[in-house]
Amino acid sequence: MPKTREDRYEQIKRFEADLSQCMKCGFCTFWCPIYQEEQVESSVARGKNMMIRGLLEGDLEYTEEFAERLNKCTLCMLCTANCPAKANIPNVIVAARADTVRARGLKFPYNIIYRWLLPRRTLFGNIVRFASWFQGIFLPKTEGTIRHLSLFLSALGKGRNIPQIAPKFLRQMVPVVNKPPAGVKTRMKVGYFIGCMTDFAFPELGKHIIEFLTRNGVEVWVPRGQGCCGAPVFRGAGDFETGRKMADANVKAFEDFDYVVTDCATCASSLKEYASFLADTPQRKKAYTSFGSKVEEISQFLVDVLKLPPSAYKPSPAARGKKVTWHDPCHLSRHLGITSQPRQIIKSIPTVEFIEMPNADRCCGMAGTFSLYYYDLSKKIADKKMASVKSTGADIVVSSCPGCEIQLIDGVVRNKLPVKVMHIMELLA
Amino acid sequence: MIEKKVVSKLEKIVGKGAVLTSKEDLHAYSYDGTTTWAHMPDVVVLTTTTEQVSRILKLANEKRIPVTPRGAGTNVSGGSIPIKGGIVLCTTRMNKILDINKTNFTATVEPGVVLQDFNMALAKQGLFYPPDPQSFLSCTMGGTVAENAGGPYCVKYGVTKQYVLGLEVVLANGYIMKLGGVTVKNRTGYELIMLFTGSEGTLGVITKITLRLLPMPPASKTVMAVFDDMAVGGEAVSNIMASGVVPAKVEFVDNFVLRRIEEMTPMGLPVDAKALLLIQSDGSPAAVEAETKQIVDMLKKGGAKEIKVAKDAKEAAMYWKMRSAGFAATFGAAHTVMAEDVTVPRDKLPEFIHKLDEISRRTGFFISYLGHAGDGNLHPSIFTDIRKKKEFARAQKTMEEIFLAALSLGGVLSGEHGIGLEKQRFLKRAMDPIALNLMIKIKGVLDPNHILNPGKIWEEERV
Repeated sequence: MPKTREDRYEQIKRFEADLSQCMKCGFCTFWCPIYQEEQVESSVARGKNMMIRGLLEGDLEYTEEFAERLNKCTLCMLCTANCPAKANIPNVIVAARADTVRARGLKFPYNIIYRWLLPRRTLFGNIVRFASWFQGIFLPKTEGTIRHLSLFLSALGKGRNIPQIAPKFLRQMVPVVNKPPAGVKTRMKVGYFIGCMTDFAFPELGKHIIEFLTRNGVEVWVPRGQGCCGAPVFRGAGDFETGRKMADANVKAFEDFDYVVTDCATCASSLKEYASFLADTPQRKKAYTSFGSKVEEISQFLVDVLKLPPSAYKPSPAARGKKVTWHDPCHLSRHLGITSQPRQIIKSIPTVEFIEMPNADRCCGMAGTFSLYYYDLSKKIADKKMASVKSTGADIVVSSCPGCEIQLIDGVVRNKLPVKVMHIMELLA
Repeated sequence: MIEKKVVSKLEKIVGKGAVLTSKEDLHAYSYDGTTTWAHMPDVVVLTTTTEQVSRILKLANEKRIPVTPRGAGTNVSGGSIPIKGGIVLCTTRMNKILDINKTNFTATVEPGVVLQDFNMALAKQGLFYPPDPQSFLSCTMGGTVAENAGGPYCVKYGVTKQYVLGLEVVLANGYIMKLGGVTVKNRTGYELIMLFTGSEGTLGVITKITLRLLPMPPASKTVMAVFDDMAVGGEAVSNIMASGVVPAKVEFVDNFVLRRIEEMTPMGLPVDAKALLLIQSDGSPAAVEAETKQIVDMLKKGGAKEIKVAKDAKEAAMYWKMRSAGFAATFGAAHTVMAEDVTVPRDKLPEFIHKLDEISRRTGFFISYLGHAGDGNLHPSIFTDIRKKKEFARAQKTMEEIFLAALSLGGVLSGEHGIGLEKQRFLKRAMDPIALNLMIKIKGVLDPNHILNPGKIWEEERV
């Protein structure tokens, strides 16, 4: 338990510039998906920022209520993107979550899972088998590496429509080295970072991506030492200590590669943000920064690195002749600034008609841990997204974030929309 | 501290989820857009119906509990800060647009509707509501009426009070009162609507608003002009208006604000400019063309160093976005920012700017300003730190000088922000004592127990 005031707010203090940048104009209320539903000051960046300032000034304490309000943020960054002062309050919120965890410890079930279970591998493996018994939380079998606990799936008991867990996980289906087929020249070698969702729920997508990349001259490695990106652990729960273990493992797993490609926007942004949040030593700072610069989200990789000609994008049978709209994942558009690449790909696919939806960059309300705690709120935010999707008349809504996809699938089913949800790579033959 | 019994009564009125009592929530309702004031309420109540507002006020009046009405808390006068604790009555959940009548050019809204949401709904029908406080993305309609808000458009179109046709107001004793109607002309008794428009939450809680609308002007054009000297720019504005052109907006920012904005959001602004003038003309396409030409000619004659007519809506939008970031730029620049809202007659603007320069030189305080050059409404700001007692006292003294300079030119204390807490120490000098006394008497009639937003507008006599 940290003792001195300085120590208690160690992480928050690193983002003090953002904290003091806010001048309380309240513009964030217009953009915040949560404020738009609740119209309560503590739900929006301005309110959260003022509460965190209150903490530093000694007016507030790390109480249960405080933590609960901190958790009620999707970190979608709409506030920052539209802030006249560009105050990055989501950064401050993540830092405050971290300090809260250090001061109060982790809440059940995180405390058990991260702190007690993970270091006991055999026991962990045994418990995994009874995953569904454990608070409805699905604990996937891993091969000695840390995997996050598919928090999306833990909302199972709350009526969410979710994809089935694949009978066989991706890493059990593909070899470590995947070479281009005979006759195709190897242009480069990349490491493929498999997000948890692709691994456990959408392994066919992963197989397809490997197949697409190899066909286009990329040698794809799937290093077995990789684990969860850590998003729910360090961003969601604020457990930086465990986050560092995950980060170190991933950095090591990909040390021999110049490019780390991933199909998940959340993973991509988390891997890139290790340096901002988790670097506690100069060594880690250096390692995380260099690792982050190697990470490429798949659409960015195809357009900016591989520079595929439009002719490389052919429609998959499911996409042929369909109207398609694009949902910008927050972690892709605002966290990484990637918006044109996926649109360029979709527009290049013959027979596919691209229709831009209104407010394509608004948060879908998933945000991992957030939607676990606040499923009802998360649904309301998703319903706005569904209205946008519906207004386009599209047959397919695509994204580049399996997390968003889970939310979109749930939204489409609940709203009974005749719309398919796909990953952008599923549009491609 | 508020009695537990009262809290449970409030919960009975609005439901459990709409009564906030945790310290965290109270902290989040302790501030507004100002940097000098903060005070926590004892409880926050989020109402959804007029009936609820009425029952809450009745209860508060019986128990003599202070009630501070609040919208989005974006005002810059301290108006929505619960300086005496008690109840914050927050109307952000009363956010329905009840009616938009395209034939009558009227709309009726609940007080928690956000101005930008209202504007967007109107735009779909080709309608226009001009008052545009620069907090339009977040401020609520109830707040804009209670503060009688202005904004850039007001130089041509007038301020909020020129648009309020009808109000539903809950009085301190819980009575629900209807004022005015939906017609533009209405000569029935005293203009009581005007009493509540700009009352800063001290006379009643506004629960329904009927507003006059205009058709959306079909065309508009924005001109940007750079000046070497702020006063010369001010003079150019005076001359443009004197020549018979009334632009829709005439705004200016100084070099400091310009640099801050460019720093926050790089958009290629001429950061060397001492003063930047933004002028928008609107109306029929032909009139806009002619007016813009005349504005450009007058600016040239007036000594503008550089003149740029925005080539399309996108470029114009960029300039206006820059202007709306102006306050953010100013408020983010120091721990404590004292932003004045003094307004002088338009033809006195150059003289006022000279006086500001002189005050700045003499006191050593840098004075930044941006504002509505077209209606003489400037927002001079002083950057200081309330934690440094001596410096802060000197800053306050400097502000006083600025205000006295404005008064000496026939100006007023506040153009559009209201008095609230921020300007009450100057009120006695800015108002006829007979009028001030009458105002206090009116307050006594409408709110004899002084429960509504107590401690605001005038300084209380120290007993």
